[in-house]
Amino acid sequence: MIPLNPAGIGFLGMSLVLVLSAVWTVTGRKPVYSVIGLLVHFSALAAMYITLSAEFLGVVQIIVYSGAILVLFLFVIALLSSGVAPFSLGPNRMPWATIPAAALVFVTCIITIVAVGRIPSGAPTTPIANAVGVAGTANAFGSVADFGKALFTVHLLPFEITAFILMVAVIGVILLAGDQTPYMPSRRREMQVRRDAREAILRGGEE
Amino acid sequence: MMLALWLLPLFGAILCWFLGPQLKAAAGWLASLAIGVPFVLTLMLWQAGSAGLHQALFSWMPGFTFGLQLDPLSLLWTFIITGVGFLIHVYSMGYMEGDRAYARFFAYMNFFVFAMLTLVLSDNFVGLLVGWGLVGLASYFLIGFWFERPTAVAAARKAFVINVAGDVGIMLAIFILFAFTGSLSFADVFSHVGALGTGALLAVCVCLFIGAAAKSAQVPLHTWLPDAMEGPTPVSALIHAATMVTAGVYLIARCAPLWNHSPQAQLLVGTIGGVTALVGAILGMAQWDIKRILAYSTMSQIGYMIMGVGVGAYEGGVAHFFTHAFFKAQLFLGSGLIIHALANEQDVRKMGGLAKKLPFAFWAMLIGVLAICGVPGLSGFFSKDQVIYGALEHGHPWLYAVGILTAGITAYYMFRMLFVTFLGEYRGDVDHPHGSGWQMVVPVAILIVPSVVAGWLLFGGENSAWAHFFATQFPATQLPAANVPAISEGLTTLIVLALVVLGFAVAWVRYGSKAALHNAAERLEREATRMPGILVNAFYIDVILDAVFVRTSQALGSLFSRFVDPLVLDGAVRGVAGTAGRLGGLARLLQNGLVRSYALLLVLGAALFLAYYAFAGAR
Amino acid sequence: MTGELPVAIINYVFLSSVIFFIGVAGVLLRRNPLIILMSIELMWNAANLLFLSFAKAWANNAGQIFAFLVITVAAAEAAIGLAIVVTVFRAAKNVDVDDVRSLQG
Repeated sequence: MIPLNPAGIGFLGMSLVLVLSAVWTVTGRKPVYSVIGLLVHFSALAAMYITLSAEFLGVVQIIVYSGAILVLFLFVIALLSSGVAPFSLGPNRMPWATIPAAALVFVTCIITIVAVGRIPSGAPTTPIANAVGVAGTANAFGSVADFGKALFTVHLLPFEITAFILMVAVIGVILLAGDQTPYMPSRRREMQVRRDAREAILRGGEE
Repeated sequence: MMLALWLLPLFGAILCWFLGPQLKAAAGWLASLAIGVPFVLTLMLWQAGSAGLHQALFSWMPGFTFGLQLDPLSLLWTFIITGVGFLIHVYSMGYMEGDRAYARFFAYMNFFVFAMLTLVLSDNFVGLLVGWGLVGLASYFLIGFWFERPTAVAAARKAFVINVAGDVGIMLAIFILFAFTGSLSFADVFSHVGALGTGALLAVCVCLFIGAAAKSAQVPLHTWLPDAMEGPTPVSALIHAATMVTAGVYLIARCAPLWNHSPQAQLLVGTIGGVTALVGAILGMAQWDIKRILAYSTMSQIGYMIMGVGVGAYEGGVAHFFTHAFFKAQLFLGSGLIIHALANEQDVRKMGGLAKKLPFAFWAMLIGVLAICGVPGLSGFFSKDQVIYGALEHGHPWLYAVGILTAGITAYYMFRMLFVTFLGEYRGDVDHPHGSGWQMVVPVAILIVPSVVAGWLLFGGENSAWAHFFATQFPATQLPAANVPAISEGLTTLIVLALVVLGFAVAWVRYGSKAALHNAAERLEREATRMPGILVNAFYIDVILDAVFVRTSQALGSLFSRFVDPLVLDGAVRGVAGTAGRLGGLARLLQNGLVRSYALLLVLGAALFLAYYAFAGAR
Repeated sequence: MTGELPVAIINYVFLSSVIFFIGVAGVLLRRNPLIILMSIELMWNAANLLFLSFAKAWANNAGQIFAFLVITVAAAEAAIGLAIVVTVFRAAKNVDVDDVRSLQG
């Protein structure tokens, strides 16, 4: 199983943190609790990546996931919290689904593990063309240089397409959740703003 | 030219049908012309036809051609159909004058002539069957011509249904013939008669005879004929006296080669013919409607014809058809004159004394009655004697006896009709008999001539013109050697004459004598009330047929309409629809709009996928 | 250190599977849309872990490259998902995924 050398104990510890934080995320009563759980999870994951010689990716994980995505989550939580009863829940419309869903998840997990167990875990006989960096140098496996070289030569096309995806995502977000007021030239906007303010004051006065 | 002969009536029918409202009175002329021209054509084709004329028309299936043929038999029938048909068309112009559907009548009449010509002119069994069916259809149209009358509609339906039963018989016969001989044309089938064994041959003959019996109103399929008198009188004259009902006789005569090889079939046909003749005569004694008397007499005379061709006396049977066409048409048209004059009164009890009011009708009917009774010198005498004696010659003494007896009864009831209608005091309500135009009188007058003289064609036995005409058609068959008839032909004639005189005498005493005419009204009333039930109900044949066939099919029909149709058939359809709906309802449960259920299904699908690869996986 | 994992590769498979299915359970059983999205992030990361462990086991960069691209796409997806959540639930009474039922029927 898992040898009890330092590497093994490190692995066990990190995997424990990973699993517990995952469970905390999924079972948090408030969304903010889940975010905290996720934060811990991502940090442990980054540590795991470093033990796997993927230093660059470990850093990217922290920056992008913990630094950007989780912050995004927090903003949205903040946005949606502005209500009388924020994050209230309606009646459960699928009460019958809990046990079957849990059973399904459990069974599928077992099946997956069994399935993987039956796959020979040797390297593919035709390895994907890639230059493996020399150990111990700046071009070591998992280093920035090694990673960048592979990314911009062999895997250039996926990289470009991913950039495209990001652009589409930005456009999509703006369209979906952006400001819906119509465009107006600045002078007219200024007049509109003054008019809105006057009306708000008048209305406020009536109440 | 044969083509024109055949198709002109069809054109006449189509024109009358579609241009009826525009043609108005001209429809009658057009229709008569459409029959008159074919009649002229028939005369022109007489020489060629007697020798045998054939014209193949088209091939309706690979190996089967449909064509027209003229030989002595079909030539004779065509002559009668177009000749008598033409006279009756002219007559109808007067009789149907003022009727609302004048043009439609002529369209139907022309269509009937076309169908009948198809029947007699075709050179194969299928064409014959087509004509057979179309003639039945035309009869349905014409019997139910005044369709506002429920009795007419019921009669038309009855006639058609019984005719269809006959059609089935002919179809079965065609199937058997085709199975054994591989062909449907008359020439081929008759040359291969040997291919059928006795059993198959008997079956064919029986099936054909079922058809003939239905069409020619033989017992027990005769019940439609008296009811068919609901149609206008010209219809009764043309269809139910002269032509359509003789189609059975034509069929048997045409298939003579088949019958010659099957003595059992001949016995069957002859017997039924004889029975019909007798039954028709007996029932004719008990009728009060002038047209029904004539209908039963038709049935009886056709029984003679069937008996004649059935036993093998083809020339006699066909001769009787020839003479009967004339005098029966004349009798019907004459009765039409009376009915027309008395404003549609048909009950003889309400007539009487018409000899003074309608003298022409009286003399015409008298000649017709004399002809039908077989009074020597008139046409009926020759043909009827030939039939009766033919029965004896071919070895059927009982049929011979029946024929003689029937002749006597025929005399009785025909003279009864004559006396009750024309002698004595007028018992009806009409003050001024409606006069008849020349269109009605002239055809009747013309028909008197052949009623009298047509029989002389048969004078001379084997050397007569008639025998020569049919020499090629009916080669002389061997008479059974042991049956040299004990009674000579001359003696037969005397016996028949004696019975006829006896019938006349009884009728005279009961209806024509001074004493009878004195209190005619009461005597007729008494006779009507004392008429035996069995005669009034026509031997209950109608009742039996009704109970056996009509009731059962009605019960079957109502079973189907009340159970099978709504529950089984509709039920199946509704079941399918219902199942589709229910399945849809089940499927709708999946579409609850809940994101989580969709996610659940996703995961389920993925799990199944994974399971497949885990346990049965592709390598 | 290439080609030599701290522990046998099968342990990484177990771990990754467990995290992944915890994420699946979260998606199926929670009703708050934000938590559902966070569970989906968990699933992405479990896959990433597997990619990286096999990259190290087979000494092949492609796993790392792919994990990088996964991070990128996951970010885009999270952004759009959150935009949708904001749009749908901005003015809603309950922030409950079960209430979004207009596709029913």
